[in-house]
Amino acid sequence: MKLDEAFRNYREKIVDRWVDYTLSTYESSSFFKKEKDKFANPVGGNVREALDALFVLLARNADPKEFVAPLEQIMLIRAIQEFAASVAVGPIHAVKHITREILAKDKERCHLVQELYDFEFAVDLAVLAAFDLYMQCRERLYQVRIQEIKTGNFILTDSKCPTNLLKTNIQESIKAVESH
Amino acid sequence: MAVPKLEQLSKSVVQGPSLATGAIPTKDWMDIPAIFKPGNYAYPAKQEKVEYLNSQKDLHFPNAREWNPEEDDWKLPEDWKEIILKGLKERLDKFRSLKIFMDCCVRCGACADKCHFFLGTGDPKNMPVLRAELLRSVYRNDFTLGGKILGKMAGAREMTVGVLKEWFMYSYQCTECRRCSVFCPYGIDTAEVTMMLRELLHLVGVGINWILEPASNSNRTGNHMGLQPHTFKDNVDFLADDIENLTGVKITPSFNRKGAEVLFITPSADVFAEPGLYTAMGYLLLFEHIGLDYTWSTYASEGGNFGLFTNNELMKKLNGKMYAEAKRLGVKYIIGGECGHMWRVVHQYMDTMNGPADFLEVPKSPMTGTTFKNAASTKMVHISEFTADLIKNGKLKLDKSRNAHVKATFHDSCNPARAMGLMDEPRYILDHVVDNWVEMPENTIREQTFCCGSGTGLNTDEIMELRMRSGLPRANAVKHVIDKHDVNMLSCVCAIDRATLTSLMNYWNPGCDVCGVSELVGNALVMDGENRQELDEGLRTLV
Ligand code: SF4
Ligand code: SF4
Repeated sequence: MKLDEAFRNYREKIVDRWVDYTLSTYESSSFFKKEKDKFANPVGGNVREALDALFVLLARNADPKEFVAPLEQIMLIRAIQEFAASVAVGPIHAVKHITREILAKDKERCHLVQELYDFEFAVDLAVLAAFDLYMQCRERLYQVRIQEIKTGNFILTDSKCPTNLLKTNIQESIKAVESH
Repeated sequence: MAVPKLEQLSKSVVQGPSLATGAIPTKDWMDIPAIFKPGNYAYPAKQEKVEYLNSQKDLHFPNAREWNPEEDDWKLPEDWKEIILKGLKERLDKFRSLKIFMDCCVRCGACADKCHFFLGTGDPKNMPVLRAELLRSVYRNDFTLGGKILGKMAGAREMTVGVLKEWFMYSYQCTECRRCSVFCPYGIDTAEVTMMLRELLHLVGVGINWILEPASNSNRTGNHMGLQPHTFKDNVDFLADDIENLTGVKITPSFNRKGAEVLFITPSADVFAEPGLYTAMGYLLLFEHIGLDYTWSTYASEGGNFGLFTNNELMKKLNGKMYAEAKRLGVKYIIGGECGHMWRVVHQYMDTMNGPADFLEVPKSPMTGTTFKNAASTKMVHISEFTADLIKNGKLKLDKSRNAHVKATFHDSCNPARAMGLMDEPRYILDHVVDNWVEMPENTIREQTFCCGSGTGLNTDEIMELRMRSGLPRANAVKHVIDKHDVNMLSCVCAIDRATLTSLMNYWNPGCDVCGVSELVGNALVMDGENRQELDEGLRTLV
């Protein structure tokens, strides 16, 4: 039994557990795990889609550049969800443990655990890439914030409106306004 | 071996106070306190804004003070609890719907997974049923027999400072979008529960600046931006200049003109901020094209009504201003621009607050003779209805190829879609002004549309992360049509959307622009006497 065959056979099981693990980081996660419609359940749907794609890439030792698309799909979401950076990225790592555990439980395939070095190295690279992407997403978030301020939306609260004068002399301004 | 390792992995190494540290909640929801930290709450209203509003006739915004959500002590008035309970009692007596919403939820859970805040955060208190439960638990405790006797067993709990903090947290993580109500078998409208929570919080001086400052601006100068009359006029004139540069058509809009047939009111963001500006250019071109006898007002220079996000008195007052101006100018009726909550107020609340507007006439299009019977009482017709009727009667010369650069999709803004049922008119217009437009997935449009995530005055930058979370369901559906159909333009009929969706796209789907439907109309119009440049990007072309 070869490792690539084991990856093929166990893809669904590994990905399922990986998705389950990742979604367990949400406070109320049963819906995220259950609902399969990606539009009704964007977090669950995207995590499932991306982790499945990523697993295929990791299993076939693909060029790490290819990890970016599925990782970005996940990191865009986790980068804005109140997770500490380590928790945002952490679940990517989990596939190592999950794969080991699943293979170890299979008597015919437990010897393959010895051969996981390349796979686990690929996971390490993916985790590093995920950190970069996490930072890029945070950066993008700040840019969006700056851009919004620049487009003039801020005028809503820091304008030259007469009500702003109230900042300095509130009581008199109120009188002035009232006597109009 | 592996299982404990996996568990370790889910813990933050820094052990920060992250709300989501991978733990499955072990406590009852009532026992998990709301924790405020930068990025998860909007800044409190400035003291002087609250004082100003409180000083105004018919308005009640007491207990103004400096306070900070991150501090333990919110400096609430001493009798805060009595104020809240008395306020709740008054509202239960006044609004029958509130009493019904408090009593009739069967906790079936149909609404639970329908809220974009829940979908983006996974926080159970963002399930609409729990959001309402925040108020209902107190209602049970103090206003029902079962709650008085059985207490927590009957889902009742005492009003405490902790509960009040929770109210603040979660009534400002609801955009009052009403998506949940579409799925509730009893029609319970959690948006209205949120409105009550916010009203009650205002009684003890707890509110946010992004809402109260625009509202006070609007009360003072007539628009959220605080633009004074001459600035407002200048801005519209600038847009007319831009139109002349682009198309060779000279437009001279009038302001505060008595005796005009129509008063046109739109959100001030349309005449001030990108990309709304292009939508406003679209209005100007359209009215010029058909030779409409209309005027702008520099006093009713705001369609938006942030009063809706505070309490019913302020909503009434800001809505009343539009009608007072229509009366002063002696127009026949009002055409309203692309706005969200202006229409919610006009369609759902205006009639019982300030209406019926009997001094105006039922809107009748001077070009087509169509009477807009749906506006018989409010006397205010939506620009999309008005435009669709013009197209249907062949009154517009349109050249779709002028929108060849656009591959559009259409976002149903919550208020026009769910609060007034305006879903087909913008689509009908799109059919006639662009060659290429596609729908997003069915469970994300029309009545089931997902909010932009920043409505009800939550479009402030200090909660950008929260906005990106709550906007995820919308952005996710847009991404689908971008990937599948190369969509490059997200069109809508709401000014807040034009601002908030722009930020949402910049984060989730960079490269996808946002526009108003009227901008696409403006692009496609073939104007008499035009001398049009090559406009590769329509009205956005830099020349
Ligand atoms: S009104 Fe909208 S934001 Fe509020 S609870 Fe319902 S779905 Fe959520
Ligand atoms: S759908 Fe209606 S009845 Fe059911 S839990 Fe939600 S609010 Fe209650």
